[in-house]
Amino acid sequence: MTDLAQNTLDGLFLGSSYALLALGFTLIFGVLRRVNLSFGPAVMFGCYAATWVHLNFGAGLVLLAMVAVLGSILAGAYVERLCFAPHRGGSAIAAMVASFALWMQFEELATIALPRHVYDFPALHGGAPLAFGALTLRVESLVMLLAAVLVCALLWWILYRTRFGVAVRAVIDQPQAAQLAGISVPRIFMLTFALASAIGGLAGFLIASSHEQVTPMLGMWSTMKGLLAMMLGGLGSLPGAVLGGLALGLLEAHSQWFFGPQTRDLIAYALLFILLAARVPWMTTRSAS
Amino acid sequence: MDDYAIGVLTNVGLISFLALSAYLLLIAGEMSFGQQAFFGVGAYAGGMLTAMYGWPLPLAALCAMALGALAQFLVGLPTLRLRGLYFAMATLAAAEMARILFELFHFQRQLEGEPVGPDGTQGFRGIRWVFEHGVEPLGYLGIVYALLALALVAFLLVERSRLGATLRGVGEDPELAASLGVDVNRVKLGVAAAAGALAALGGVLYAHHNTYIEPRNFDIMLGVHSLAYALIGGLGTALGPLVGVVLDIGALEGSRVFHGYRMIVFGGLVALLLIWRPRGLLDERAVQWLRRRFS
Repeated sequence: MTDLAQNTLDGLFLGSSYALLALGFTLIFGVLRRVNLSFGPAVMFGCYAATWVHLNFGAGLVLLAMVAVLGSILAGAYVERLCFAPHRGGSAIAAMVASFALWMQFEELATIALPRHVYDFPALHGGAPLAFGALTLRVESLVMLLAAVLVCALLWWILYRTRFGVAVRAVIDQPQAAQLAGISVPRIFMLTFALASAIGGLAGFLIASSHEQVTPMLGMWSTMKGLLAMMLGGLGSLPGAVLGGLALGLLEAHSQWFFGPQTRDLIAYALLFILLAARVPWMTTRSAS
Repeated sequence: MDDYAIGVLTNVGLISFLALSAYLLLIAGEMSFGQQAFFGVGAYAGGMLTAMYGWPLPLAALCAMALGALAQFLVGLPTLRLRGLYFAMATLAAAEMARILFELFHFQRQLEGEPVGPDGTQGFRGIRWVFEHGVEPLGYLGIVYALLALALVAFLLVERSRLGATLRGVGEDPELAASLGVDVNRVKLGVAAAAGALAALGGVLYAHHNTYIEPRNFDIMLGVHSLAYALIGGLGTALGPLVGVVLDIGALEGSRVFHGYRMIVFGGLVALLLIWRPRGLLDERAVQWLRRRFS
């Protein structure tokens, strides 16, 4: 029983990191109707920038978080200019393959700047986990959950309470009508990308400091987990992204406990495959071509 | 030719099969992130048949192709009605499942006191049919390119036929094709089976070229690369995917000029190329222009 509760708790925390990644993915997909495979690698770029600053200047955590977010925004802007702005209204496949090409660039750049396979990343807290009766809780996990809740609240406020948010929702629902109403669609694309990358950068910083390390695999890992969580929650829905992330985290924590890490991933992919093949209503309501 | 050049050229040929299988699905309007799985199925099945059961390579290759075709047909049955990204994600999920199953796959036989066969994440070594039968690297290169030429001739014949027009019709506008009496789902299932067989053939040849395979060889990177090759080479002709593979593996790896910066150069070039030509270097327009020019 304690194990079950502990696994559920761990799954929720794991899921909140997936939820953050999925939110970034979903923002971009919702607005652009394009998949950005370079989302994870841009997050990794931010984390590598922070690690580099940490190694060379020994900067503190707050500064590292800022570097990670700024690095991710910078990388995101580069991706947007080169892969998505030129293909606006054009080929979705071309945009996606271009974003994959830049993924290759980020990965090689990371290994040139920091050639070792693994680098230490400072932990947020580093002390012993908190204990609640038989259950244990890492401070990093709590911060992650808190960050996910805060980012959701902030996003909601931006999308539903600001002029920018109205414009974003207009572009999501009716891109042509939004353009006719005088909204600058290219500008919205750019800002959405920056916002999504900032969320990704924050998520990356929290993930790196909870793992206490960065590797070049972080790019692929973030893209895969973000995509999976986004698809599970229904493509292009922000609340769906959060739910999809949490569901994926819970599923992984429990199946890891029962079956080990390989079968854990097998189950997650099998679930995605089955849900897609069964065309469950919440997953196939949005056009994705 | 030195061994390095032969190795690079053989690799170009092997990966071309995978790129062709991604291309075949693309012209029929489907984007797959999962062709690496069928490449892997072919590699494992072919390698097991020759190394563990002593089958001759040609027979093992045919068997592996049939298995690859069946595997992609079965994956296609529930997923080919999905559009765009949904199909891409379903194939990705299937391919990752296949890769993890390769990791969990332990199946060995004792041959001359040595265990032979897939050993999970430790991989599968000793696929030595080519060495044992005295095929020189240059000879193997010849075999790979002869098979590739065969596949290309088949592609060019199909593209000039009614079937080719049907394929492109299904790819460009499935509703229109259906209204003209084309059974879209059947065409797509046929395409899936053919693409699976092509990828599996590449996989068999790959396993026998390297003599060693492991699950990591068949990860998402390989699949997205083959998709990228098909797209940058161009969707106008079956020669397009080859151009893509040659550009990446041949020119950049072969020249070794950009050593250490290969991906940065190649990635940037691909992104720029796609701005200029979103359907690749040899797109439909370029192919028509070339035909008029040379006929």
